[in-house]
Amino acid sequence: MNCRSEVLEVTVEARQVEEAMLALLHTILLHRSSGKFHYKKEGTYSIGTVGTIDIDCDFIDFTFVRVSSEELDRVIRKAVSEFKDALSGDGMGQISLEFYQKKKSRWPFSDECIPWEVWSIKVNVVNLANEQERQICREKVGEKLGEKVINVVEVINRHEYLPKMPTQSEVDNVFDTSLKDVQPYLYKITYQITDSLGTSVSTTMRRLIKDTLAL
Amino acid sequence: MAHFDTEYQRLEASYSDSPPGEENLLMHVPEGAKSQWHHIENLDLFFQRVYNLHQKNGFTCMLLGEIFELVQLLFVVGFTVFLANCVDYDILFANKFVNHTDSSKVTLPDAFLPVDVCSARIRDNAFVIFVLIISGVFWLHRLVKFIYNVCCYWEIRSFYINALKMTMSELPYATWQEVQARIVEIQKEHQICIHKKELTELDIYHRILRFKNYMVAMVNKSLLPVRFRLPALGESVFYTRGLKYNFELIFFWGPGSLFENEWSLKSEYKRGGNRLELADKLASRILWIGIANLLLCPVILVWQILYAFFSYTEVIKREPGSLGARCWSLYGRCYLRHFNELDHELMSRLSKGYKAASKYMNCFLSPLLTVVAKNVAFFAGSLLAVLIALTIYDEDVLAVEHVLSSITLLGVCITVCRSFIPDKHMVFCPEQLLRVILSHIHYMPDHWQGNAHRYETRDQFSQLFQYKAVFILEELISPVVTPIILIFSLRRKSLEIIDFFRNFTVEVVGVGDTCSFAQMDIRQHGHPAWMSAGKTEASIYQQAEDGKTELSLMHFAITNPQWQPPQETTHFISQLKERVHREATGVTSDTHPLLLSESEPRSLIANLLVGPSTLTSIHFGRDSSLTNHAAAGLSDGASALRSLSPISSSLHLRGSLSATHRASGHTSTMSKAMAGSGTDARTVSSGSSIWEGQLTSLVLSEYASTEMSIHALYMHELHKQQSRGELSRHTWHRQDSDESSDSIPDEVRSEPNPHSRHFPRSHTFPTTVPSPSAIPTSASAISSTTLGQEGASSHNSSSQRRHSGSTTESFGAGGKVVRSARGVPMGGWAEEGQAAPRHHDTLPEESSEDDMPPYIHKIT
Repeated sequence: MNCRSEVLEVTVEARQVEEAMLALLHTILLHRSSGKFHYKKEGTYSIGTVGTIDIDCDFIDFTFVRVSSEELDRVIRKAVSEFKDALSGDGMGQISLEFYQKKKSRWPFSDECIPWEVWSIKVNVVNLANEQERQICREKVGEKLGEKVINVVEVINRHEYLPKMPTQSEVDNVFDTSLKDVQPYLYKITYQITDSLGTSVSTTMRRLIKDTLAL
Repeated sequence: MAHFDTEYQRLEASYSDSPPGEENLLMHVPEGAKSQWHHIENLDLFFQRVYNLHQKNGFTCMLLGEIFELVQLLFVVGFTVFLANCVDYDILFANKFVNHTDSSKVTLPDAFLPVDVCSARIRDNAFVIFVLIISGVFWLHRLVKFIYNVCCYWEIRSFYINALKMTMSELPYATWQEVQARIVEIQKEHQICIHKKELTELDIYHRILRFKNYMVAMVNKSLLPVRFRLPALGESVFYTRGLKYNFELIFFWGPGSLFENEWSLKSEYKRGGNRLELADKLASRILWIGIANLLLCPVILVWQILYAFFSYTEVIKREPGSLGARCWSLYGRCYLRHFNELDHELMSRLSKGYKAASKYMNCFLSPLLTVVAKNVAFFAGSLLAVLIALTIYDEDVLAVEHVLSSITLLGVCITVCRSFIPDKHMVFCPEQLLRVILSHIHYMPDHWQGNAHRYETRDQFSQLFQYKAVFILEELISPVVTPIILIFSLRRKSLEIIDFFRNFTVEVVGVGDTCSFAQMDIRQHGHPAWMSAGKTEASIYQQAEDGKTELSLMHFAITNPQWQPPQETTHFISQLKERVHREATGVTSDTHPLLLSESEPRSLIANLLVGPSTLTSIHFGRDSSLTNHAAAGLSDGASALRSLSPISSSLHLRGSLSATHRASGHTSTMSKAMAGSGTDARTVSSGSSIWEGQLTSLVLSEYASTEMSIHALYMHELHKQQSRGELSRHTWHRQDSDESSDSIPDEVRSEPNPHSRHFPRSHTFPTTVPSPSAIPTSASAISSTTLGQEGASSHNSSSQRRHSGSTTESFGAGGKVVRSARGVPMGGWAEEGQAAPRHHDTLPEESSEDDMPPYIHKIT
């Protein structure tokens, strides 16, 4: 696929899942968001400001920075809690944050969403026996998350493909403009639980049709 | 209320959260999406379409072609049904009289049945309904596909026009290399592929040919069950389009195939852990697809017959000889294809070899048939002559029943007979012909050389180059045979297939999963008997057969001079090129220092004769066989080159030119040398000696193919020298790949055969130790100075070389032992991880397979 993909793996306890996921997703989104664009008549624009906020985790010894946008937080929280519920107990799962671009297509086809970066976070949930182990895990996961954050920043610091800044008419093809106070790149959060890791039926069918149509 | 003017005024409503005034400070200019070509989702498909559009000569041509195909299809079906059901043949054959009132002439419309009768006949006939339904479904499918394609290719068209800045009208006259160069250029600006800043030619090739490379590799490693030993026919090859389609369906894109999408293998297939389970899964899938094939067999059969009938009868009618005409078989195309060779490159190569190949096959006309044919032709001819003479005298003869048809039949008969009668002026020289063929097709099994006159060689060659009639016949029986092959043959190989895909898939950044053979890495897949000895670390299992890696590499480097291969590869290429050039210049610069424009044509030909013929004579000399053999070899090579003569002079010129470049301290790049030679050959013919001039890439590519021919011949020649004494292993006789990979290592690796083994080792030090290249070079130098006593002198020199070779043997032996100890087949799996080239990562799971049994094949 013509997109970068990064994989992060974490091993956490069941109650830590939500916070760990939030920490990582928010960290990535922090770097992939910008202030709102205000377009001027001459085709230039200025960028609004974005506030940040420190979040302390309850179950992990960890503090992360996120965009201080309640709306964005709500959206992410919703996705993560769905993932957590689906995970239910121990097991493996994967949550992916996919940044994409829309491409307008001609009439018979719907708009294409073309991903340019996919972050997959693989989660391994473990059960711990006693409080002491939990305490150790609390610290260890904190450390691990710190590493991951640095990892993320390193990846983002590389000069690699980013969609070009759009003009006013195209801003919806690149950025998610639905939020009032912040403007992340268009993103999608999906998750998979290990049991159903195989490709879904619909994608297989779509591919089959596409393949038969290809020259 | 009075109106106050206060300083307090309502602020302009603004939700801007930036402080007022900042708007003026921080202004950004959006770049906008000026082009829509950045970051294309499916680059595989995109490049394939770009290539297809180029091959189909632009959008309009493609559109028209597709429309006509659709119409043709309707016509074929409609006309067949009409002929079968709506024509009253009795009227046509005048068995039944029509009672006309006005005239006695029978008109065509008289023979047509009325519409209601006709439709009733169709409705009653279940078979016709069946055929009609199938064709209807097929046609609708084609129609939808056509509409879809028009939309897609419209986009590609605008890509050509807007991004590549090429109009559709100039597209047919642009070479693919030009288009490709522009794509590479475009990448810097638009970032079509987001993984890399720059695309290379190899990336584009990899994407277009991803699956074809796999197929070539599988045929090369004899993995696909296409050769069979039949009780009556002996060894034969069966590989049809239907079978190929099924293979691709199973491996690449069908439901549940090994590939997740176009660019990546499913991750479970990359891991060695549950290979048995996966093999079971694959086997059952093959079984189901085989059964589906069996069930659909009548449908496919009907379709094939319809299609074959209408596309071939017309040809047969027009020129009966064309049935005898041959074509390169589908298997041949796979066997002869290089890795990373696009369709048009392969086609042009094979077309060039066509004439020589058919000549070669014609050498083997059976004398018995000739005698019969001659006499049949005599009798048929005399009958025909009489009939024609009578007709000329009085054309009423034509009105007699069956006279016209017998004239036609006799004509056909004579034409067929004539194709069995050899040309009176033709000389039987198969060895030469085979050499010419080799220069175009680039691959042949080792044992053909020197056995060209044998009937077995001819039979084997006919597997690559079959009668068109056989081709059609095979296509027709394919629907019946395909399911049998799938169910009984391919299913048994499922474990090998799983292993193949696991072991020979690498993930390349920016390309995805590709066949590792297609990386053309000498180190990983080189074959020691094909000049990459000492450089290759491949185990027997990993080596590509028939020097495919090396030849493909040369081919790719020559066709894409701009390509920058990795370090060792560059070394290999330049070393080989230098050798071939030395070969060429060793002759020309001695006899005529550079100024070939002054040389008479005769001496030019003499040069041509000397060049490679020394190679062959040397080889025979080394063989220390009879001198007349050497002479045979000489004339043999000479004629091979003479067949290339109009262009082969370019190599000499090119060689000499690059020599001057080097001499004058220029580091002449490949393209420079080629540019020189391109213009050179032209100026020579016009008699002037101007070196510089304009060149087009077309000229370049034309000479590139010649250069490749010469390199191919040279490499085969060297290979022959090297493999002498060594146990020859060729794909040809291999029935099963497991035989070869099991039995060969013991023999080749452990057998103490230092003499033949020594040469490959010394390659790395061409200056100190005589390598095989040194022999022909020096020999050619000698022979060019003393043209008269060529045989003797080359004998001497070669024997000297051989002695010096054997003296250095003892030094090389140590290294050899180490190598042979490491080269047990286990390495095929264990070494995979560590042998990864720097520019791509192998699958990480490979290294964790130590627990796997070394002899994978034996488990089956």
